[in-house]
Amino acid sequence: MRTRDENKESAIREKAMKMIVDEGFDGLSMQKLAKAANVSPATIYIYYKNREDLLTQLFNHVQQTFYDVALAGFNPDLSFEEGLWIQWKNRLKFILKYPVHFQFYEQFRNSPCINHTDVQLSAFKQSMKLFAMNAMKKGELKKMDPEIFWSIAYGTFYSMVKFHLQEITVMGNNFKLTEVKMKAAFEMVIKALKP
Amino acid sequence: MNIYLSKEPVMTTSTNNEGLYILIFKTNIQLAEDLKAIEVCLDREQDIIDWNIDREDIDNVLRVESTSDNTQKIIKTITEAGFFCEELTY
Repeated sequence: MRTRDENKESAIREKAMKMIVDEGFDGLSMQKLAKAANVSPATIYIYYKNREDLLTQLFNHVQQTFYDVALAGFNPDLSFEEGLWIQWKNRLKFILKYPVHFQFYEQFRNSPCINHTDVQLSAFKQSMKLFAMNAMKKGELKKMDPEIFWSIAYGTFYSMVKFHLQEITVMGNNFKLTEVKMKAAFEMVIKALKP
Repeated sequence: MNIYLSKEPVMTTSTNNEGLYILIFKTNIQLAEDLKAIEVCLDREQDIIDWNIDREDIDNVLRVESTSDNTQKIIKTITEAGFFCEELTY
């Protein structure tokens, strides 16, 4: 009797995400994945029924990893400024620790594949919603549409992250996102969101 | 639930004691009408919990979840239905 091999499973996942990030969704097949991960095709099929099942399981895994990192030390009752700063730091931690996960997640969210998964209001989304609603109730956040809120509160953050991840930005500089730079941008965002 | 890889039983951390074998085969089952013919045979097997054929794959992989290791019986069933079927090894 041997135990289900977690290391092998995680190696297969990493390879699959890398292939999708590098070559797109069409670049992935069960056979190519087996070769790249240096396992037999039969091994891939132990864990996944087919390509679609693989994509769905990958997405769910990445999403869960993201939620776990993002919610560490966070709760919806925190003051708006403290809570949002924890979100920025946690999200940056996730992106730097799992860059391929992040790219895969972005790619998947912008593709029609997402319709194949069961999208439900997760504990994460509920927590984020409650956090913003609490902040409005306490008078720490202006009333605004959720889309506008997200764009200001997180759009800034994700734009900086993208510049950080690009070797050379459109501005031609090699931009490095440090905690000091992030904090300076964060202050401006807070100023914009306060009533 | 315990998950068995072919003849090697594999443990998972679930509480359920029921055993599950995952059996993988290479076939030439490719067309929708082929699938229909196979469906009748496989759905008749009591031990089979779930099965699917990945017709996108060059090996047209048949994946079976079963409560027993009925590899030989499945090969016999599929072969008798007029298709190629062999166990894919790990």
